[in-house]
Amino acid sequence: MKTCVSFEDLIQIHRPQIEEMQRVGESFSHPDSPDACQSFTHQVRMVEGTLRQTYREASALARRTEDLREVSDIWSRMSSFCNFALQALASLKDKYSNCGTAELYDLALDFKLACDKRYRGVVEEIACQSMEFPKGLFPEKT
Amino acid sequence: MSEHGVPEGAVSREDIARLAVLFDRFEYAFEPLSIDAKEAESQFEDLVLLLYNERVKERFASVTFSAFRCKIRSLCREHLRKNPL
Repeated sequence: MKTCVSFEDLIQIHRPQIEEMQRVGESFSHPDSPDACQSFTHQVRMVEGTLRQTYREASALARRTEDLREVSDIWSRMSSFCNFALQALASLKDKYSNCGTAELYDLALDFKLACDKRYRGVVEEIACQSMEFPKGLFPEKT
Repeated sequence: MSEHGVPEGAVSREDIARLAVLFDRFEYAFEPLSIDAKEAESQFEDLVLLLYNERVKERFASVTFSAFRCKIRSLCREHLRKNPL
């Protein structure tokens, strides 16, 4: 039996990394201590890697998916994943201001905006699927 | 008319293939904010507008630019699925 992994499965696999970052961030009462920043910086790097990896997975899956509704679902889920990271970072950005937190926040925001743009594009394409175009405009299907 | 007798359109298969390469570079870029992705998107939009102005606007007046661009994007997706780069 072939194992199929959906994008939602991938999101669920990656989500704990963001939860861990939040847990570590909230565990230190003195964020200025060297231990706190070192630990949190490590978490920031892990989440950065996770965001980049998950975005790549979304992109690769969107490319091979035939159904535009599935494509829109992928970008919608990736956008939500970025939003989840943003919510976790919003509460920690000021607490760990020198640990790369703001940069990661910006990255997550950039990825979210990219997802939202792609989602809107696909939604438009779904709407125009029902449009009739004049003969002779586009190549006829083989 | 193409070699195999299947009619081309005002927008040819070669045009779609050319646009699909650009579309791939930005729509599916692993780094959506990279210079390469942004350049590809800019070239794609310019080419779509050029094709519309030169081959569609007068001859197929009922087709809006928005609809044309939307269809082009769909054709590019379809092309990329059938012809992986």
